[in-house]
Amino acid sequence: MPRSAGHFTIWPAMKFSLAVYSAPHSTQSAASALRFAKALLSEGHEIYRIFFYCDGIQNGNSIAAPPQDEADLTGEWQDLQRQYNLDLVICIAAAQRRGVLSQREAERQEKLSANLAEGFELAGLGQLTDAVANSERLVTFGG
Amino acid sequence: MGNKTLALCRTAPYGSALAREGLEAVLASAAMEQEVDLLFIGDGIFQLLGNQSPEEIQQKSQRRNLLALPMFGLEQFYVCASSLAERGVKPKLIEIPGVEIKTIEQPGALIASYQCVLSF
Repeated sequence: MPRSAGHFTIWPAMKFSLAVYSAPHSTQSAASALRFAKALLSEGHEIYRIFFYCDGIQNGNSIAAPPQDEADLTGEWQDLQRQYNLDLVICIAAAQRRGVLSQREAERQEKLSANLAEGFELAGLGQLTDAVANSERLVTFGG
Repeated sequence: MGNKTLALCRTAPYGSALAREGLEAVLASAAMEQEVDLLFIGDGIFQLLGNQSPEEIQQKSQRRNLLALPMFGLEQFYVCASSLAERGVKPKLIEIPGVEIKTIEQPGALIASYQCVLSF
């Protein structure tokens, strides 16, 4: 039987993907996505991929420095990624527009520094399509 | 592989990036030959208007992306009838060359008929 995690129980176990469209600290959406992901995993569900798009790419910005008494979503995503080996994918086109670059992208675009947080990877929109095709449920946060 | 997918276009163009980035996601899916349908609902119906002058606000035309969709096999758009009526937009104002516009009275039933819904 499923363990109860918060206010919902989904049974049997399913394969989920999440799409996150909002930045941390602006709206609650990204924090809700993180809490939802934790609840899914604690109930034994599988997360196929978390795809960060639009302003959601800021979740993978390693140089954000929120005050210590506020949630550090990037750090929490990284902890969860390590614990469950999650596939955290950031849309490369959305990230280039908004300034989240891997070392390789920073060099290619001739920018001074890279700021993609470890545990996240940059990839194309095809990864969202692939997540839709290979998940039983896609849940969108923000936008 | 494949889940019959509906993309909801809920937002007006230009004011936020969501409408543009949503269409880009739809184009990516279509280019990968996934079955995606579009429903324009709420302020999303403004994306379909013909007389857009985005260059005056230093924006790229989003309608140009819409016009590209038939080349990827998307030749039919669903449009919410009451969203049009609430905003005073006559159906003849939202014609897209190469696309059949189907106005829908009950968007809920349409949405429920899909396995996956992307919302932009």
